[in-house]
Amino acid sequence: MRSFQGRLRFLSVPALWLPALLPDMGWAHDPVFGLGPHTLFQGGVELHAGFHQAEQGDKRHQEAELAVKYGLTGDWVVGVEVPYSLREGSTRRTERGSTALTTKYRFWRKDTFARQQSAAVLLKAVLHDADNAQPGTDYLAGLTYGDEGRKWYRWVSLRHRSNADQGGLERPDLWRLDAVIGIRFEPTAYLEPDWVWMLELNGERREATNRGTAKLGGDQWFLSPGLMWTYRNFAVKTGVQLPIADDLRGNESQDDYRALVELEWHL
Amino acid sequence: MRVLLKICLLSLLLASAAFAERYTLRVDGLACPYCAYGIEKKIKALDGVQPDSIVIELDKGLVVFQAEREQRERELAEMVNDAGFTLRNMLVEASP
Repeated sequence: MRSFQGRLRFLSVPALWLPALLPDMGWAHDPVFGLGPHTLFQGGVELHAGFHQAEQGDKRHQEAELAVKYGLTGDWVVGVEVPYSLREGSTRRTERGSTALTTKYRFWRKDTFARQQSAAVLLKAVLHDADNAQPGTDYLAGLTYGDEGRKWYRWVSLRHRSNADQGGLERPDLWRLDAVIGIRFEPTAYLEPDWVWMLELNGERREATNRGTAKLGGDQWFLSPGLMWTYRNFAVKTGVQLPIADDLRGNESQDDYRALVELEWHL
Repeated sequence: MRVLLKICLLSLLLASAAFAERYTLRVDGLACPYCAYGIEKKIKALDGVQPDSIVIELDKGLVVFQAEREQRERELAEMVNDAGFTLRNMLVEASP
């Protein structure tokens, strides 16, 4: 018979790691769910507001997020992100999530006529300073390559998130692999509204774990249509992740979908 | 006296107009309008640049502006790099 602590662990684990599965906040002209190598111009400030929603059966998680970023150089940006949980499962509540400190460095850039190819690394620390959080820090590292032209966009990225356990409850580490293609059907002039349509293939591996009673881990693949609309220094990004395949362990359930809308302003 | 004053003012205007130069920068990496905003902002911060004169032509990879003070190529190359792009070359002409 399962102990009370075991039952508690089983019940609590998905709620604890679900926020970690929500998409990472995007960066400038990057994919909606994947990671791209874009940074911010030196001395530039980016204000970012986002709304994320994910559903798993009858569980719904909603989260709002605010971020500020600053361009240290044309290839190096730092930022702070603060999420707010709006709904967890069937409970509607507003509480501050864990602050994240981020930095991205574009270590390679090849500029040619109307085309930019580049590669960057991302580092992120998610501090467990949320309301009711246990001490600890999650770390995320990412590597990305992007090829951006007047018509076509291509990105690939790999990310690893190392999740700290919370209060003895396991939170499996996470790998993400993304391949994205984007198209601007009509090349636009500088001061015209610009539309870039994207299609992403997002793979996700939660590392397996047998500690405790919960069997966690497994793979999920998503196909994700997305859109980025910009006008001069203002951008709106939106997209939805739709599951197409999975190989999940006993206590994992498949996501129905994940969606996000983000607003971004460069100053 | 009034005529003399007008002549002086006109001379000053002509002199300032004569100093204005038109800079045409050929910039590599210019693919999207959203990212090009950084270059607009950087040029506006340069000393002596006429903000209304800035034109960014993405399809030609050109950034054009007029400035009343001389802009050095090395500093412009650094400015373009700080905006996240690469200056390939530039042309300086007397402003029309």
